[in-house]
Amino acid sequence: MRAFSRLVALAAVATATLAATVQYDFSVEWVQANPDGDYERTFIGINGQWPPPPIECNIYDRVIVNVTNNLGNESTAVHFHGLFMNGTNAMDGPVFVTQCPVPAGNSIIYNFTVDQPGTYWYHSHFGAQYPDGFRAPFIVYDPDEPYAGQYDVDTYLTVSDYYHTSIPWLMANQFLTLTNPTGSEPIPDAALFNDSQNINFQVEPNKTYKIRLINMGALVSQYVWFEDHDFQIIEVDGVYVEPAEASMIYITVAQRYTILLTTKNSTDRNYPMIASFDTDMLDHVPPGLVWNVTGWLTYNNSADFPQPALIDEYNFYDDFSLVPVENEAPYEPDYQVSVDVQMMNLGNGVNYAFFNNITYVAPNVPALYTVMSSGNLSTDATIYGTNTHTYVLGYQEVVEIVLNNFDTGKHPFHLHGHTFQVIERSDDNMVYDPSNPGTINEYPMRRDTVYVRPGGYMVLRFKTDNPGVWFFHCHIEWHLSQGLALVLVEAPLEIQSRQVIPDDHYAACKAGGYAYEGNAAGNTVNLFDLSGEKLQPDPLPAGFTARGIVALVFSCISAFAGMGFIAWYGLSEIKTTSPEVVDIVGEPLDNGDDDESK
Amino acid sequence: MVQIFDVSVFFIVFRESLEASVVISVLLAFIKQGVGKSDEDPTIYKRLVRHVWIGAGLGFLICLIIGGAFIGTWYTLGTDAWGASEDIWEGVLSIVAAIIISVVGLAMLRLNKMKEKWRAKISKALNDTDPRGKNWFRRFSRKYAMGFLPFITILREGIEAIVFVGGVALSSPAKAFPLPVVCGLAAGCGIGYFLYKGGDYVKIQYFLVFATCFLYLVAAGLFSKGIWFLENFVWSNQVGGDVAEEGDGPGSYDIRLSVWHVNCCNGQTSGGWMIFNAIFGWQNSATYGSVISYNVYWIVLMVCVVLLRFQEIHGHFPYLKSWTEKRKAAKLARKEKKRLEAAEKESARSLDTDSETKEVTVTVV
Repeated sequence: MRAFSRLVALAAVATATLAATVQYDFSVEWVQANPDGDYERTFIGINGQWPPPPIECNIYDRVIVNVTNNLGNESTAVHFHGLFMNGTNAMDGPVFVTQCPVPAGNSIIYNFTVDQPGTYWYHSHFGAQYPDGFRAPFIVYDPDEPYAGQYDVDTYLTVSDYYHTSIPWLMANQFLTLTNPTGSEPIPDAALFNDSQNINFQVEPNKTYKIRLINMGALVSQYVWFEDHDFQIIEVDGVYVEPAEASMIYITVAQRYTILLTTKNSTDRNYPMIASFDTDMLDHVPPGLVWNVTGWLTYNNSADFPQPALIDEYNFYDDFSLVPVENEAPYEPDYQVSVDVQMMNLGNGVNYAFFNNITYVAPNVPALYTVMSSGNLSTDATIYGTNTHTYVLGYQEVVEIVLNNFDTGKHPFHLHGHTFQVIERSDDNMVYDPSNPGTINEYPMRRDTVYVRPGGYMVLRFKTDNPGVWFFHCHIEWHLSQGLALVLVEAPLEIQSRQVIPDDHYAACKAGGYAYEGNAAGNTVNLFDLSGEKLQPDPLPAGFTARGIVALVFSCISAFAGMGFIAWYGLSEIKTTSPEVVDIVGEPLDNGDDDESK
Repeated sequence: MVQIFDVSVFFIVFRESLEASVVISVLLAFIKQGVGKSDEDPTIYKRLVRHVWIGAGLGFLICLIIGGAFIGTWYTLGTDAWGASEDIWEGVLSIVAAIIISVVGLAMLRLNKMKEKWRAKISKALNDTDPRGKNWFRRFSRKYAMGFLPFITILREGIEAIVFVGGVALSSPAKAFPLPVVCGLAAGCGIGYFLYKGGDYVKIQYFLVFATCFLYLVAAGLFSKGIWFLENFVWSNQVGGDVAEEGDGPGSYDIRLSVWHVNCCNGQTSGGWMIFNAIFGWQNSATYGSVISYNVYWIVLMVCVVLLRFQEIHGHFPYLKSWTEKRKAAKLARKEKKRLEAAEKESARSLDTDSETKEVTVTVV
């Protein structure tokens, strides 16, 4: 029940010209908590506290985060979602892309400057670790932002799905196993507002609140609305947009929406605010699942806290029509990456996710370290591995990503290091046809995480103005574990000439026994020799294998042999003086065949 | 096709009606040969024949009623709601059916032996010369022996058939019953009639061999299917509700146990392959269990056939000669003892009184 607010009336002059250094020391450790009041479990907390503390800074600040892994039994790594890390690719965070995992008992320092205002968040990028609690907001203030002065209070509000059970256990026992052939994602147990439920968001009448909404969940997109209150969307994923009047938003995991909400005149009642799961994304809705979470815009602490009204349908604002404040016409693409998304079972019976028949398998050496140790060969995509689905991009080009979603679910895709223009996003069940494009806005919307519809496609364009190795993946943690990812090596020669990997990052590799030089297999001598790299499992056998044919033939032989024996038995003579007949009458009968002696 | 003709029902009914018609044909043959002085008096002959048919008819009628009631109640009570345990039910029933069929199937190949056995039994029953019937029932049954025998036989064979049919076919839909029952009856009675009329024994034997081979193919398939269903039950429980979603595709079977899998040709659901499934036990997704059990079945069968033949020729199973002979000797000794006692009683009685002895002479040809 914390309402966290901060007045923007800081000394604007002082902060604008004085770029400070903000330092955080994070001890990552296990913490007990009970956010929904139903179930206490162990979370990954920071400095003994859960939820983890937010990171806040001003634009142009240098941020130094000193992370010590005191978990004891898991490695970790931190990604600052939405930050470009321009010139400091090593600070981006995804394991085996820009760094090694940091083993328990070790530490790593993330040191970077922040040149972009807006709402971001930080979370673990080791495996599917962050839903166990390792995530929190990262807010960058800018006194010169377009909406400066138009609000009274600047605050944030997070939504999340919540699992009672630990993610590694769910992953191994319920999800990535052959007894889950449909790849059905584990169902969350509850929804949370600010890592809690039934919260009181204290408001005063006639004030405008700038509320930064962040979805820190693992799987489910949520509809968020405030009863009887409309609002204006002013920023998405760090991109300021023309104010868009809305009453409900649809926020996928990892997305951020900042809204301006003006409170009413009177304080006679309180108003519910609701975040509601998009249950389409759940494989099934178990009975008893409460898939909403409620809070209140609390004008009056002694008034009632009414229950939210039921609604018939979700009328949410489609972010495709947002217009950035710094609007740009669609970029002209130089290079196209076209990928088809599908889910399939491989030979071990497990359901995996694919971009174009490749499911992402991490290399032995982080891709960035391969760049740094491969000299001129860094522009050859082969050295990054057969199963990492790596594209090498040039510098200062425009890249177009065409993504066809052949799966029946919605997927929120995120590109590290960039925002992209969302050129097209089709309705359900449409395939990309360049000769027949859908709606393209004059000034396309830009953000860093966007969802594609079931069976539909989307077209994204971005500028390669940020040398680095950038991960592009579905932000549903389950799907990321299934391999729905690819790697973009952007301007490798520029990375080599301009960037340095700090020693403590290499130290983390050494501590964990990971290679940090060479190609994807760790081979430093012949970069084209990839033997020893990790590959995806073999496909399922199609039809009869040798084993099957042998079994079938052998069975046929048995059947024929058996029938042969039966025939032999049937046609053989029998003695009429068989012992049984003798027993019955005490003396043998003559051989009297009635059917012959008539 | 498999939904209106259950092959195992056909064979059970065929086998039982074959045995019953053998009994009747033996009785009719006896009558023809002069049992009960029928060769002397045509009216007696006709009467005795009529007894046979009335007895048989009554027995048959009662069987139909019992069988129909049994099947009817079973199906109206509803066999649908097995739900999660349907696979276990199917599996166990299939294995039970396979065993039943296997055990009774070989007897069809010893038709001559069956005939001789019945001839001996019937002649003994007719020869039972003890006039002091203990009760009215005994006297009644002896007076109407010619009617009573077929009645009791048909009733017993029929109930046996119903029980066996119940064992093999309760997992089939109700409409899979009438046709094979009728066909089985027709086939069984047909052969019995053929035998009575002096048909070519050799030709009949060839047909019976063919029919028995077919029967055992079905039984082998059933056995394999039974094991397959049980394995499928375990897999369904591991995956949970999603198994049905997968149809024939990946995830509908356990890859660790798979010997072959094709995404088509499902023996449970698709047309012609269902016939393959019914006759040969074909599965589009075979497991180690289903393949091995199929082969083990045939191997065991072959061994049993060899052992049975050995027993026929030598009078005992291999290595059990002395044991068998000791048992036989003991049995004969007991029988001797009984006969001596009966003879003593007989002589004691005839000394006392002058009761008339009713005799039914048996002409042994």
